[in-house]
Amino acid sequence: VSVINTVDTSHEDMIHDAQMDYYGTRLATCSSDRSVKIFDVRNGGQILIADLRGHEGPVWQVAWAHPMYGNILASCSYDRKVIIWKEENGTWEKTHEHSGHDSSVNSVCWAPHDYGLILACGSSEGAISLLTYTGEGQWEVKKINNAHAIGCNAVSWAPAVVPGSLIDQPSGQKPNYIKKFASGGCDNLIKLWKEEEDGQWKEEQKLEAHSDWVRDVAWAPSIGLPTSTIASCSQDGRVFIWTCDDASGNTWSPKLLHKFNGVVWHVSWSITANILAVSGGDNKVTLWKESVDGQWVCISDVNKGQGSVSASVTEGQQNEQ
Amino acid sequence: MKLKEIDRTAMQAWSPAQNHPIYLATGTSAQQLDATFSTNASLEIFELDLSDPSLDMKSCATFSSSHRYHKLIWGPYKMDSKGDVSGVLIAGGENGNIILYDPSKIIAGDKEVVIAQNDKHTGPVRALDVNIFQMHCSGLAWHPDVATQMVLASEDDRLPVIQMWDLRFASSPLRVLENHARGILAIAWSMADPELLLSCGKDAKILCSNPNTGEVLYELPTNTQWCFDIQWCPRNPAVLSAASFDGRISVYSIMGGSTDGLRQKQVDKLSSSFGNLDPFGTGQPLPPLQIPQQTAQHSMVLPLKKPPKWIRRPVGASFSFGGKLVTFESVRVPSQQGAEQQQQQLVFISQVVTEKEFLSRSDQLQQVVRSQGYVAYCQKKIDASQIEFEKNVWSFLKVNFEDDSRGKYLELLGYRKEDLGKKIALALNKVDGADVRIKEEKQESEFLPSAGGTFNISISGDIDGLITQALLTGNFESAVDLCLHDNRMADAIILAIAGGQELLAQTQKKYFAKSQSKITRLITAVVMKNWKEIVESCDLKNWREALAAVLTYAKPDEFSALCVTTSDLSDLSVIQNVLLRKHGVLTGENPPPPGFLMHGNINPNAAAQRPTSPGHVHTQGPPYPQPQPCQPAQQYSFGTGGSAMYRPQQPVAPPASNAYPNTPYAPSAASYSGQSQLYAAQHQASSPNSSPAPAFPPPPSSGASFQHGGPGAPPSSSAYALPPGTTGTLPAASELPASQRTGLRLKGIWFGSLLYFFTNRWVDGGLLFVVANCILYGSMPENFMPPVPITSPIMNPLGDPQSQMLQQQPSAPVPLSGQASFPQPHLPGGQPFHGLQQPLSQAGLPPAFSKPSIEGAPGAPIGNTIQVTVNLRKWNGEMALFPYISFNMLTFMIAPLLINEHLNLQTKRKLDDASKRLEFLYDKLREQTLSPTITSGLHSIARSIETRNYSEGLTIHTHIVSTSNFSETSAFMPVLKVVLTQANKLGV
Repeated sequence: VSVINTVDTSHEDMIHDAQMDYYGTRLATCSSDRSVKIFDVRNGGQILIADLRGHEGPVWQVAWAHPMYGNILASCSYDRKVIIWKEENGTWEKTHEHSGHDSSVNSVCWAPHDYGLILACGSSEGAISLLTYTGEGQWEVKKINNAHAIGCNAVSWAPAVVPGSLIDQPSGQKPNYIKKFASGGCDNLIKLWKEEEDGQWKEEQKLEAHSDWVRDVAWAPSIGLPTSTIASCSQDGRVFIWTCDDASGNTWSPKLLHKFNGVVWHVSWSITANILAVSGGDNKVTLWKESVDGQWVCISDVNKGQGSVSASVTEGQQNEQ
Repeated sequence: MKLKEIDRTAMQAWSPAQNHPIYLATGTSAQQLDATFSTNASLEIFELDLSDPSLDMKSCATFSSSHRYHKLIWGPYKMDSKGDVSGVLIAGGENGNIILYDPSKIIAGDKEVVIAQNDKHTGPVRALDVNIFQMHCSGLAWHPDVATQMVLASEDDRLPVIQMWDLRFASSPLRVLENHARGILAIAWSMADPELLLSCGKDAKILCSNPNTGEVLYELPTNTQWCFDIQWCPRNPAVLSAASFDGRISVYSIMGGSTDGLRQKQVDKLSSSFGNLDPFGTGQPLPPLQIPQQTAQHSMVLPLKKPPKWIRRPVGASFSFGGKLVTFESVRVPSQQGAEQQQQQLVFISQVVTEKEFLSRSDQLQQVVRSQGYVAYCQKKIDASQIEFEKNVWSFLKVNFEDDSRGKYLELLGYRKEDLGKKIALALNKVDGADVRIKEEKQESEFLPSAGGTFNISISGDIDGLITQALLTGNFESAVDLCLHDNRMADAIILAIAGGQELLAQTQKKYFAKSQSKITRLITAVVMKNWKEIVESCDLKNWREALAAVLTYAKPDEFSALCVTTSDLSDLSVIQNVLLRKHGVLTGENPPPPGFLMHGNINPNAAAQRPTSPGHVHTQGPPYPQPQPCQPAQQYSFGTGGSAMYRPQQPVAPPASNAYPNTPYAPSAASYSGQSQLYAAQHQASSPNSSPAPAFPPPPSSGASFQHGGPGAPPSSSAYALPPGTTGTLPAASELPASQRTGLRLKGIWFGSLLYFFTNRWVDGGLLFVVANCILYGSMPENFMPPVPITSPIMNPLGDPQSQMLQQQPSAPVPLSGQASFPQPHLPGGQPFHGLQQPLSQAGLPPAFSKPSIEGAPGAPIGNTIQVTVNLRKWNGEMALFPYISFNMLTFMIAPLLINEHLNLQTKRKLDDASKRLEFLYDKLREQTLSPTITSGLHSIARSIETRNYSEGLTIHTHIVSTSNFSETSAFMPVLKVVLTQANKLGV
């Protein structure tokens, strides 16, 4: 791991999230200073494209929509609002504001582009809302109340890949995608939700292993292997890797990746889903990789942006693009 | 937002943060009495199950106590990470005792739950706290992080303040919070966020304030009852519990949220209190109780004004496209002053690289690709490879990048050229021995049967095998050698052809050396182009044949020499000699390469025409030696016989036409004289004679020729005009190339000049005819050179149909009709000439033309000539062009002289240039854009040229130049002067 670009965001307070867009050319950051900033970071540069003001509280997360829908960014804030920003003619403007939550909105996540423009938002009130763009600037809202008691901390969509589609004989039919997402909350649970045929969201699974708040969940990208994978991290310092091998998607088994000393705030899969970045409360970022025998190995210890690949790299690993 | 409630009037304690699940211990309060006024005391433990949406808490254990409690705390003492031991529950009793309970035992239902008891206090123990450092009492809370800071709360209604103290500065509180209206009963400092301090007071408020700023961040929605105890849940930082005097312990979330769930519970309770049955006997179960919806602002509880620390995510790493990892953090940077520190919010974009070895290999390969050091790389791979197969693969790959890759491949395949060479050498030696041959023949016969079957490449050691091997390695030479040695001539020649020119030549040589038939010599000479050999060694009797061969094959540059040699054989006339020599010399300037036919890249017209004229040029040679076949000479002599009489001024002589019917020359004469009928007749008569016609090219109408349309001599006809004795001549196809593009024009001119020369010396007169021919010849090639105006405009209008006709019936009518066809393109034969004739005669052609022709007409095979004359006639029809013709002729006349006399090239070039420049004049004349004065002046000059009075011409020239507009004449007059001067000088 080598730092190739350091961006001084000039945020006046703590940054809570930083996300690159689909192409890795732009960086969106959000901060307790209530602003969202977008930087052009191509070629190691850092040109501030936009400084988006609109939130009245700390902005917790930002999420880029798939570029096929244009340049769209969603942000969620402690001010109970979700704002969707859009770039029109080079100018970023607020295109929608969702204020259907009663408490801090902690997480936003765009659904796979295959499903359309759908945004899931998890709030501290425990509810998850789903915003679906219906065209002409209209957003349809569905809300799952009490998804997580005293707060939902994270939402993460399942990839729009039918498990096993890589191996299975193509049936020739259009794959029957079922929209699913995972959420984690202050009830120490991870919940899997799926959309019923009538369009209602139903709790499909309750994954119980954490003994404290689930801080983040991340459904791994899939290339169509039969196994679905979810990573979760918790206030209790534990990171679990949940896997599901059966076709029905009902049997999930947790595997403890590691127990950290402090709270683990964030987990993020690489695009190819073979590396997991874990951000701990001690400001450390560790990279984990599953070895051939199924053990998760820490391959890197990124601390203060100047980490180096630790000596624990032993197993034959695949090439990370 | 209220999460849970317990209907107890009790003190409370949360299980420590380490504990999971979360328990809440309650001990019956000593200070308050509940509605039952019961003095029974109990210690209960409830579990906080947030996944249960109801407000009820699950009771885990109850322990009956002998005394009520003033204070209850739960410390983490003796806890392990697994939570097997649940710490210690410490209670301050009403009797002044402190009791330590083991919560795990209480939960397990064990009777002996007391760990220890202390009775040192004489009064009720009102405040307890467990700290790593110390214990403290109610109304006091230690700062969660800073050991020296604490808050004190006052229960005094008159001074309901919370003071924040720092023991280092103990003289006065750091801050005083005055948010409560009445005495404060309890405070709790959040361990998770030091900026959150809970306080509850007798004003029935539960406030959450920031002790650092004094700001009230949150006010819990409570009922009107006082809360006497309040606790943060250590494990779940958003959860707090408050015990109120209405006999209830409520668990709240500080994160706000809807209270809908709470209301629903109340509703359910109310409903169920009536029972589901039919309390009023109406026969129907009561519908669920409907409670009017409260207003939104009531149901919605705002969260903390300040986001609690625990939800402020300080770190995060996200992967993005390309293995990039985005991390962020705030870095403390000392500001310029040095004293203060600034927070810099940074985002790091890192490249995650996990496959070091793989990447280094990739880099290596990239480097190799960049530096092109493939061979070394492959060699390294070969050295490093362990398996034979791998080695082979890399060997082949390596060879790919080597200079002689194919050769190396062959080597790898087991064909080493040197080895093969040795083998072949050996075989060749062996072949010399008869016994070996026999043996090989035997082998051969053995091999033969298999030849018909599958294609089997034999690489055995015999001749066949060796040849095969030689062929496989591309060693044609060896293969040919082997074949020759094996007396397989056909194989050898065929292989030699494949092997290239050089090898073929060698093989031919070898073959000739071997073969000894009668005509071998001739064949040898033909193939080797060794004419000298033929000419020198051939029998005198065979001089004709020798000459024929020379004429057929000789290259122009050696032609004359050969001819001279040939002439030694025979008693050729001096003229012929001279002629040939001249021809040779002249053409030598532009040696026509063989294979000319392949060069047809100018335009189809040109390509087709070229062959004809040069062909004739060469074919003319043979007839000369024999008086009869030498038609051109005769023609000219005859024709020019009357040329002396030719004068442009002469009127048309109708009588002349009478002679036409009889002689081939008549038509030409007729054309000059403008006798249409005669001409036509003659033409028809002549048509059968024009033998070369088949070669007549289809004249596609090229743009260039069109531009220069007009009276230019038709090249096609001109071509026919000269080849008189075509029948006797060799086809000379190989010589056709003589008309190489650039050389053609000059050659034509020269040849024309030659003719002139020839006739001029031999027959005094016939000048015009010669001139005509000159021009025809001169223009013919020019036809191939678009820039030269004298082209074959006449042919162009014919278009394709005409050309087809020409091909089918290529004789005289064709060109005639071609010319005549301006008005009536398709009329063959003489008819077209009628149309043509009128203008021609009107144009006032010099009658002189006709006269010589008439006289010289005696039966010659001159259908061609007729055409020429006709063309000329048409061409001359525009008499305006007369000067041009004269001038041009003059240049033509001068040019050969210059060369012949070995004059300097410069002059020659000048003349050549002059002839080109004269085209401008031609254009001017044709367009008749010149002023009459100049035109008449030019005519005068032309006339003086006719009389060879060049000095007079020069005088007139000077006169014109001095009197005319410079711009009008500057383009051609200087040139004209040059020509005249030269002519004068040379006495042409």
